[in-house]
Amino acid sequence: MRKVLWAITLNTFRETLRDKLLYSLVGFAVLVIAASLLAGSVSLGQDARVIQDFSLTAMLVFLLIITYFIGTQLVFKEVERKTIYLVLSKPVSRETFYLGKFLGLCLTILVAGLIMAVMFVIVLFAKTHSVPTAAYFAAGAVILEAWLLTAVSLLFSSFTSPLSSAIYTFGVTLIGHGSATVWLLSQKASPVIRGILEGVYYLFPNLEKFNLRNDVVFNLTPSASQVGLILLYFASYTVFLLILGVAVFRKDEF
Amino acid sequence: MVFLGLSFVAQINYDSWRRYSPPKLLGVDYNVYIEPQPLSPSLAKAVSFGSTEFLADYYWLTLIQYYGGGTPYGKYRKLAELFSLVTDLSPKFQQAYQTGLIILPGEGFPDQAITLGEKGKKNLPDSWEMPYYTGLVHHIYKKDYVSAAKEFQIAATKKDAPPITQYFAGIYYKEADQRQLAYQIFKTVHDTTKDDFVRERSGKQMVHLEMTFFLEDAVAKYHQRFGRYPSILQELVFKQIIKEVPISPLGINFVIDPQNGKVSESRK
Repeated sequence: MRKVLWAITLNTFRETLRDKLLYSLVGFAVLVIAASLLAGSVSLGQDARVIQDFSLTAMLVFLLIITYFIGTQLVFKEVERKTIYLVLSKPVSRETFYLGKFLGLCLTILVAGLIMAVMFVIVLFAKTHSVPTAAYFAAGAVILEAWLLTAVSLLFSSFTSPLSSAIYTFGVTLIGHGSATVWLLSQKASPVIRGILEGVYYLFPNLEKFNLRNDVVFNLTPSASQVGLILLYFASYTVFLLILGVAVFRKDEF
Repeated sequence: MVFLGLSFVAQINYDSWRRYSPPKLLGVDYNVYIEPQPLSPSLAKAVSFGSTEFLADYYWLTLIQYYGGGTPYGKYRKLAELFSLVTDLSPKFQQAYQTGLIILPGEGFPDQAITLGEKGKKNLPDSWEMPYYTGLVHHIYKKDYVSAAKEFQIAATKKDAPPITQYFAGIYYKEADQRQLAYQIFKTVHDTTKDDFVRERSGKQMVHLEMTFFLEDAVAKYHQRFGRYPSILQELVFKQIIKEVPISPLGINFVIDPQNGKVSESRK
């Protein structure tokens, strides 16, 4: 099973690498990160700050675009081209197929994220001759967030079209980043509304947990317990999404 | 190639139209001027995807371009709003507060500058710069020396505050006619500072104020004896109440107000 899973993972990774969209997205992200040098030069001495904020935000935006546009098409393409029959006719379970697709895209996101992160570190180091530790944590958290949203997009893509799946995943991203607002609203609402909003708060992924980007300019390195909680949250929520996704995928009829 | 050439011609014509034609919109040449339209802080936070520092940087760059580009309205109408938005999005952006406190008052927004300073003091409680710069706004643009002195006193309590900060607090209290308070501040500075220049200046200020108190005592005695105030300080010498009018170590002459006997510094 492990061999099969690894094979599907690698195959998915290779498949995404063949996608020209990936190259243009990574290329554009690298360009934006490099361009942050120019923005920094007209910021009244706030170069480091501008480079850090622009680069980390560019990383997040482009990794999310990869998730939305490539992640949502993975399963759909297999069904459309009917290659899924070929795979599932072999001794490959649906769970392994689904998990392999997820891990394959995670690998793609990791490679794309690392390319962007390396460019970010080079640009920042070239300008300031130092890179705060918090920057590495923030970049890592961006990749974690993209991985979690990959699980979301894969879940949606297992029962809906790629476009709808991308829109739903974008919606989850919006709610996930507005979780603090949802919580504040719930505290001011009537008991019924409060219950609903608190339900939304706990049910939807709290993506602000992965937001270490705002701390980088002040070099606020997260504590070990904070990192531990982020990892625990990521692992448990992603596993929940994968179990849910597999359950839906199992019932799909092609 | 034909279409490329055509696009080149169109571009040239468009550019010359933008540069040389006089289209006006509400009296403003819209070809060279677009005023920033900042979002409300809550909306900006909602659309930032959590990247509030990034959005703060975006508005910071917008603000710099806006201020550097000049304004046909004669006043930077959006300047205070932009500073407020940047510091709402990034509450610990020290450079934004400092820049705002320096340029806002000069552009006709002293009250907004003070509000910005108050926000800075709240969000950056360890910064001596926030009360220091706010104090300067009170002094220069509001002529409110008591508030300026209070701000400088707060600044002086912060770590890394320059030794002269407390000295300035004394100066402002003196300007606000709160001489006893000013004297106590100068004395504290004189007794505690490690900066030679500040100690020397505080010592001179103390002697200057002691001379003022001495002269006011003499004026009170004069009033008791003659039922009126002297018209010039030399009268105190003529009537043998004091031996001579002291000379201030600050090189400032003392003068008296014959109406109320108040001794002050000559502004000449």
